Amino acid sequence: MLSLAARRSWRRHAAGYAFAGPALVILAAFLVYPIGYSVWLSFHEWDGYTPRWGPFVGLENYRALAGDEVFWKATLNSIVFVAVRTPLEVGLGFLLALLLNRRLVARSLLRTLFFVPVVMSLIVVTIIFQRVFEPNTGLLNTFLRAVGLGAFTHPWLGDPATALPAVIAVSVWKNVGFSLVILLAGLQGLPQDVVEAARVDGANAWQLTLRVITPLMRPILALTALLSIIGGLKVFDLVFIMTRGGPTYSTEVLATMLYREAFELNHMGIASAVAVILVALVLSIARVQTLVLDKSPEGGKA
Amino acid sequence: MSKAKRRTHHGDAREMSRRKLLQLGLLSTAATPLLRAARATAQTGGAQPSASKATGELKNPVEFKAPKVKASGPTTISFWQYVGFHVDVQKFIAEEYKKRHDPNLSLEITAFPGLNEQRVGVKSALAAQSPTPDIIAIEPGAYAVDVSASGSVIDFTKVFAEDPEYKRGFWPNAIELLTINGAVVSVPAVTNTVIVYYNRGVFQQHGLEVPNTLDELKKIGAALNAKGIMPIAYPAGQDRNFPIFPYYTYLGGIKADKLMREADLGLKPWTSPELVAGAEFVEMMAKSGLYAKGPLGIKEPDAIQIFATGKSAMFWGGQWMRRSIRAALPPNFDLGIFPFPAVVAGGHKPVLSSVGITLTVNARSKHPDLAFEMIKAITGAWGKIEYTRNLGLSPNGPISADAIAYQMQSLKDPLYPEFLKLQPTGTTRVIFTPAVEEAVTQGMQALITGSKTPKAVMESVEAASQKVGARKFRTG
Repeated sequence: MLSLAARRSWRRHAAGYAFAGPALVILAAFLVYPIGYSVWLSFHEWDGYTPRWGPFVGLENYRALAGDEVFWKATLNSIVFVAVRTPLEVGLGFLLALLLNRRLVARSLLRTLFFVPVVMSLIVVTIIFQRVFEPNTGLLNTFLRAVGLGAFTHPWLGDPATALPAVIAVSVWKNVGFSLVILLAGLQGLPQDVVEAARVDGANAWQLTLRVITPLMRPILALTALLSIIGGLKVFDLVFIMTRGGPTYSTEVLATMLYREAFELNHMGIASAVAVILVALVLSIARVQTLVLDKSPEGGKA
Repeated sequence: MSKAKRRTHHGDAREMSRRKLLQLGLLSTAATPLLRAARATAQTGGAQPSASKATGELKNPVEFKAPKVKASGPTTISFWQYVGFHVDVQKFIAEEYKKRHDPNLSLEITAFPGLNEQRVGVKSALAAQSPTPDIIAIEPGAYAVDVSASGSVIDFTKVFAEDPEYKRGFWPNAIELLTINGAVVSVPAVTNTVIVYYNRGVFQQHGLEVPNTLDELKKIGAALNAKGIMPIAYPAGQDRNFPIFPYYTYLGGIKADKLMREADLGLKPWTSPELVAGAEFVEMMAKSGLYAKGPLGIKEPDAIQIFATGKSAMFWGGQWMRRSIRAALPPNFDLGIFPFPAVVAGGHKPVLSSVGITLTVNARSKHPDLAFEMIKAITGAWGKIEYTRNLGLSPNGPISADAIAYQMQSLKDPLYPEFLKLQPTGTTRVIFTPAVEEAVTQGMQALITGSKTPKAVMESVEAASQKVGARKFRTG
């Protein structure tokens, strides 16, 4: 029999549990359970065809990954992908947002144009860029030849040295509009009195941007960067369609490696280990980012 | 059903399937002499005849045989495949089957956008012990090994034993390719070849002849390059199979296919001189100036465009691309094909051959007999004539001169009979061990980009092969 206090407390919280319950059930079924399943699977061998998993192998799948140079290459590529993409995406997005926050002719049109790649189908984008980068009749090499820079023509996606930069370039082109929209919304929400006060105090445009606007935008910049980092670490479709991780693993990232291990090599256990590492990586970065944000003067107030 | 009960049920199913496997194994042992005889026939010939001179409105000269089993009530069997352009003809045959033989039976086809997507879907269905799909399209090689080794599909041995004529309808080497651990895993719908398409107009304009030897091909390449025409559009960036074509070609040209198969099964080293020579050939081709620039950055549609616009004089590709190539060509384009020239002095011209899409039955299908009957309708004597007539792909197995005349009535493509003539010289292009296939693909990419030596490539393939250890399957 519950005490009166306990009954009151239950009554007080019942509505909360009732409202949160369905969401928690869905979360548990579609997020917690699959993650747990994946973690448990990463300690097993399984080819993915039989209903029952193979034997428990402990940390063997992780050990195999540690000794697999393709895994390290994929990890490095994922890190390079994020390290190059995020600053470009957020940096360019911020510059464009600053530009479009001013009173420009055709400002709305420009905003729309920059956002178009975001809403375009990724498949369409990758097919277009495959054609752009095609070495013989592709738009880029044709353009280079037309302007007398034929010496710079290159098999962009066919050369391990340029394949990853080419894929990153497409990713930036596709996503910069997304950063732009978030950052533009942030800029428009800034307290105008602070900006005006800086102007009255004689701050020039450069000082205003660097000393006033950028610090105020820090939480939003951090959020945009976080989204870009997570998106970058998870990248699969773009790489898979454009290069399938090749040539010679030069564009292999963790997500494409996961797919290859699971569905081409039938190593479901190893693929799950890659998935666990990927999730751990994403969660760690998110946590670091949150800690940094919390320590900043504007932390968590965005 | 409780968990314990479910376990018992699955256990019984496994016992049943073991017993069934044993029976089928015995059957297959009994059928071995027949298989040997059939194989010998294939080695001594099997060329398709020329079309007969028959005129007027022709009909399929082969009888569409009635099935042994029919549906007792309205039944739909499901079929998951991965080649969209085959759907229409599969539907056509299924509808004819329904109309003529079994009005209760319908075929529901799901065409996945590609092999990868279909394989993922099939894998999930099989792991979940789903009875759907009833019929599965699989590729020879690693895919066939996977579904066979996991006991997910039903062996054709019994079907063949009951209907030897049906079995004789296939090229024996194709059936051999689809035989894993003594069980015939699936049956082919067509045969595909890899050849060189060429622009006859450009060849004539520059006084070039179809090459018979590698040296002649190199001379043609040099002559074309001097005129500013790229010699061969080769879409090595299309998928994981394309970068291996030159390697398969060389091994076919020196008759080292068997050695490659043994290496694939871990019985011979990949560092054998012949297999390293194959890698050297791939490297030589990449450096020869014969390919359009950056083959690994070229996909099929790009290569077709390069060829169709006259920027390259040749196109190294498969018979399955004939339609897309034709569709891209201007009306006055004179298209020809030739087998890849002999890769060694006095050698034969290697024509890569594969069976492409093959069909099998899900071991958990609720209508396995009906599924087998549907597969027999699609791939049987009548079905294969209709199937290949619609697609312009070569049938898997011999067809008559009258049948070819009937096909040509609607196909009208002069290349079709040429493809038919090429079949018997074919050599297969299949690797069974996934990790080995991956290592070969990556190795060939490294050779094309010049980032590894042939010896280093074959050493890495051998390392991958050794890592797999003893294979749990045998082929043929």
